[in-house]
Amino acid sequence: MAYLLTIFIASVFTNNIALTYLLGMCPFIALSRNPKTARGMAFAVIFVITLTAAINWPIYHLILVPLHSEIIYYIVFIIVIAASVQFMEMIMEKFLPAMQASFGIFLPLVTVNCTVLAVSLFMILRKYTYIQTIFFAMGSGAGWMLAILMVAAINEKLKLVGDIPKGYRGPGIIMVIAGTIALSFLGFAGMVSIQ
Amino acid sequence: MKDKIRMILFVLILGSFLTSILLLVDSYASPIIKRNKILKIKKSILTALEIPYNNKNITGVFSNNIEIVKKKNKTFYISKNGDVSFKMSGPGVWGPIESAIALKPDLKTIKSITIIHQEETPGLGSRITGKKFLNEFKNKVITPEIRIVRAGQAKGNNEVDAITGATLSSKAFEALINNQIKLYLPLIKGGKK
Amino acid sequence: MIFARLKSTEEFKTVANGLWRDHPIFSMVLGICTALAVSNKVDNAIAMSAGTTFVLVATAIIISLLRKLISTRVRIITFMIVIASFVIIVDKAIEAFFPSISEALGPYIGLIITNCIIMGRAEAFYIQNKVHLSILDALANGLGYTYTLVSIAIIREALGFGTILGIRVMPAGWTNWVIMAMAPGAFFILSVFIWLSRTLAKIEP
Repeated sequence: MAYLLTIFIASVFTNNIALTYLLGMCPFIALSRNPKTARGMAFAVIFVITLTAAINWPIYHLILVPLHSEIIYYIVFIIVIAASVQFMEMIMEKFLPAMQASFGIFLPLVTVNCTVLAVSLFMILRKYTYIQTIFFAMGSGAGWMLAILMVAAINEKLKLVGDIPKGYRGPGIIMVIAGTIALSFLGFAGMVSIQ
Repeated sequence: MKDKIRMILFVLILGSFLTSILLLVDSYASPIIKRNKILKIKKSILTALEIPYNNKNITGVFSNNIEIVKKKNKTFYISKNGDVSFKMSGPGVWGPIESAIALKPDLKTIKSITIIHQEETPGLGSRITGKKFLNEFKNKVITPEIRIVRAGQAKGNNEVDAITGATLSSKAFEALINNQIKLYLPLIKGGKK
Repeated sequence: MIFARLKSTEEFKTVANGLWRDHPIFSMVLGICTALAVSNKVDNAIAMSAGTTFVLVATAIIISLLRKLISTRVRIITFMIVIASFVIIVDKAIEAFFPSISEALGPYIGLIITNCIIMGRAEAFYIQNKVHLSILDALANGLGYTYTLVSIAIIREALGFGTILGIRVMPAGWTNWVIMAMAPGAFFILSVFIWLSRTLAKIEP
């Protein structure tokens, strides 16, 4: 139990998927211009990461490994990700139209977010058990959300007061903000560590 | 309807074509990958036991000099003169640290330690792989336990200087060594020939 | 004169776009995850960009050959399967022949799949162009990606480790900027690159 909590906290703070592993940057740049869209995207990411990791783990360990076809796991994982996103969209449209309206538009974008695939790859690489995988996936999603919300908030404040050089406007300044936050996240080093 | 069948057929044919290429690649690459992994373990064990080898004769040197003993799914590598080596692993600051240790036949004195894998801060914690740090462990005793103390203050024969600027990595490595020795030592003490 | 004529051919435009005008990283800001994550050492950067270029070219050949057969409704999944297959080949090849690089890159090789450059080029170019043009485009984009990644890596490795490709370049008294070898350094250096290229190319945000 304690180790599960360690995994969760590590994936939010010390091993943040956006700020330490530098993943999920494309939507980071595109969406962190506006905190509201950033929030919508982040919730969709948490949801999809957890769902796909929960599906991919049994597929890998119960089907691919016994069949000795680990080699095709990349293909299987991305198909699972694409299919589950599509499927979720359909279900939400039918049963949860309110939820669909709030973050449904971000769902198709999540498919190409590398954090989703990365979490599935990390869970294989680090040999997590099923429960550990779930905690790791939720933690990674939450960590990504924390990072994108901080960047978006700072970026919005900066727009009001900052006199940013022309070439730095847009992606350039978001990189600088993200870098500064990543720098401060280094301070979490040693708080918890994963095996 | 005809269109749909054509679509499915297309994806299926493409999929099976690519899968057969992949199986070909796999049948060629996976024996090499497997061999690389085994070689890497053998290398680090030989280095820890300080048995000289070169890249060509690793397998031969290993099988001539080392006896593998399994105790409760833990593996020990015992050299001809009775030195005992085993792999250790545990959490570092950013990711796992894997290492191999060799103990002298009295099972108290460290012969040497090598690092197999680490993800510590480049240039700071990653210096645990450096010769200067690892050489300090030679001939230290593991009873009651290894202590990594502030740089320049190591006095006792179970004390080792920490790396300046990498206190966290040093502490993590200290915990790793002591935990793993506690785990492995009782097993080998029970049944060493 | 020859140059002027050359300049108006489709081949030239394709290459120029890939190398500078629509440069994947600077102007579109695509595929930066890997650019950031593996650029702390030059050898990692070279392996990564070679892998990405190989996948780009192979995908370009397959997709442009099959472009008349791929129906629009299954095209995304087709792209994904093709890309993922070639990424597996790259992954296995690196693991078999360069085990130390494979260990350093970890899961990032697999993440070439979600490198938006490949999917983006397949969608925008390979699905509607002839094979030779697609190959040119893939090579140009791959080269554009490579020179960016390698030049970021040269700066980061020189400042962070004092070396380039493991060879010492900084004077003996040099204190390594550890931050350059870690995540924040990647953000800062890439932001400088984006700033420079956008100022030079006069791209408006």
